[in-house]
Amino acid sequence: MTVVALHTQALVLPEAATYLDLLGRSLHAARLSNAFPERRPLQHSLETLAESLRLGLHGELYVDSRAGLPNLASLTRALTDKSVARESLARMGDRAALEARAGEAEVFARLAAKHGYYEKLQDRELAPVDHQRVLLRRHDPASGTAAFRIELTKLDASGVYVRLQIELTQVSSLWRRKVIDLDKDGETAAASEAFRAMVYRCADLDAEALFMRLHGAEGVSVERVQRGVIGPVLFAVPIGSGVQVARTAEAGDDALGREWHAWSVGAGAAEHERPELLAAFATDSAALDIRDERSNDPISPLLRDRLRDQEQARYRALRERYPFKVFKDRKFVATPGLKAVAHATCAAAGTKNMIYDLQYR
Amino acid sequence: MSSKANLDVLSRQVAYSGEGISVKSLETDIQKERTIQDNKVEELKVLRERNVNIQNAMAEELKKLRKFSDYLNGTATNSGFWAGFKEVLSYIPGLGSMSMSQRSIEELLKAQYQISARRVKEAAEYVDTLKQSEQDLYKEIDRINVRIVEMAKNEREALNYVLELKKLQEQLEAEEQAVEAGSVEQRDIQASVDKVRAKLAEHSTNVQLYGSAEERYARLKENTRKLADTIRNLAQDIQQYTTASSIKLDMASAQIQAIGRAADASTVMLEMKRSLDVMTESMNVTTQFVSDTQMFFRSNLDTFIQELDTFDEKTSTVLEDNLRKSKEIEDARIQAAIDKAVKRAGAPASPASPAAS
Repeated sequence: MTVVALHTQALVLPEAATYLDLLGRSLHAARLSNAFPERRPLQHSLETLAESLRLGLHGELYVDSRAGLPNLASLTRALTDKSVARESLARMGDRAALEARAGEAEVFARLAAKHGYYEKLQDRELAPVDHQRVLLRRHDPASGTAAFRIELTKLDASGVYVRLQIELTQVSSLWRRKVIDLDKDGETAAASEAFRAMVYRCADLDAEALFMRLHGAEGVSVERVQRGVIGPVLFAVPIGSGVQVARTAEAGDDALGREWHAWSVGAGAAEHERPELLAAFATDSAALDIRDERSNDPISPLLRDRLRDQEQARYRALRERYPFKVFKDRKFVATPGLKAVAHATCAAAGTKNMIYDLQYR
Repeated sequence: MSSKANLDVLSRQVAYSGEGISVKSLETDIQKERTIQDNKVEELKVLRERNVNIQNAMAEELKKLRKFSDYLNGTATNSGFWAGFKEVLSYIPGLGSMSMSQRSIEELLKAQYQISARRVKEAAEYVDTLKQSEQDLYKEIDRINVRIVEMAKNEREALNYVLELKKLQEQLEAEEQAVEAGSVEQRDIQASVDKVRAKLAEHSTNVQLYGSAEERYARLKENTRKLADTIRNLAQDIQQYTTASSIKLDMASAQIQAIGRAADASTVMLEMKRSLDVMTESMNVTTQFVSDTQMFFRSNLDTFIQELDTFDEKTSTVLEDNLRKSKEIEDARIQAAIDKAVKRAGAPASPASPAAS
């Protein structure tokens, strides 16, 4: 494995293509709901990265060595290529003419391939590095209340890909600063910069902490905070003839990470032929309409279960001020070799989780 | 016919390759080749314009990054750190007049990272365009070489024929001496001599035209090669600069995110400055390239265009001069062609060379 910079490992072909294929198929296998970042744009980004490597437009794929997902440099690369695609195509000229000259010099064959790459890319929706929007759910001008949903998709600094959705109601009043502004027609809304920044900064907090942070701020009543997290992804891809294996280099020190390390030095150590991948997909909700508070996430128990006795009383008092309940869940997609890691993680935590199959090609 | 000389020479078709040559057709052909060169120079001019735009954009980005970095470093605070800091935040895209607490530093740094990546990519996109142009020009050089060889062969054909005609002319003149003045035989020989002179006039013109064409195609090739070399050097420079810059950005992405988050949490100024410095460095490399490229364009492209213009003037002058001379001193030209042919025939045999004239 090659860690080339802070939390950054580099994969090259052919293992990079194997990794991207497994990751792309794992997204499909995971049956992601709208709680998660949108699957298609992310898959498009993975396909774009695979294609750019195959065509030799880029030499390496950079992966976050903790989360096992393509990192900021990789996702930005796809977005940047898209941003220059239209202009570059105009300059390149006709693709057929480039193909006709492919035998003449290497540059024409490469340009013809790049032409095809840019053509596909220009209309592709790619995974954003950051994207925040505010949607108006209801508006009652008479009472001055408006219900909104804030959606933030973010490549988190921890390397995982997160979608955060906050449903809240705002009561406007003359003396209060509004966190969300409606336009004159009452049809579109935009969060104030301060509120927007607060949501962005707090995106890595769990739903419970975020609910408490936002609830009551500037006339806001929060109804639901939901986080959908793609990652971490643990992979082991044979390199070349299979003597070496590229693995997620800095897996977390949690229950899943520990099972992974055990597998890597145990059963997985002998696996030099088949590529293995295990992807985790977590949801974490704090909402008024959740009946029972519980966590079915084997690596993220409820906060109350993590507190020491002397902190429990203070926590209970704090929670009494807020009417929400928390529900956490996590599902896995795993190749046959790594299903045991997911099972062991769940068994240790006593949770019952969906573990979807990811078949070898 | 009573002449003993071999008059078949007069009716022999000279095997010139191509479509024949005239002052006008030569001018048209050279102009076609020049148009191709001009188009490539035009492409370079467009690139120069784009270069200027990218440089301006990068200069702006660098200004923002440097200001930001300077304030974090505490070297540019006139009215207190926070006042200065708020001022520089206004340089970051979308920040406007907001204070620092109103915007996530992580988000800002990521936005700036994406802008930097875009600028580097824009610069890198030059490379393929230039390589494509370079190949077009090499192809053009091949075409010109074919023309040069063709012109050289045709000149040789013309020279050989002129020699044959000269020999025939001498034979006929000798025969004329031997026959009675005013006799039918003499008139017949004189008629043949006139035909020889007409042929000599025609083919000595060809000697000059093909010789001139060969020389001018050779000069055109030289200019095309210079242009191709210019473009290749430029492409290599760009590739070096943008590769270095991209590597810096690729390696810095995780740092930028980590520092952005840390800054959001606790405003870790020193680390944030380092993070900014990485981006500044990357932008610096690219800006340096764009700046060097500007110099490159100034010192090469403009000179080159000037040279091409001079070349145009020169060739036009040569063509006009040729035309004038060919009319005025036809005999002298015939003699010159004959001299050249005689000299060639008298020279020791040398291996055939495509560019031989």
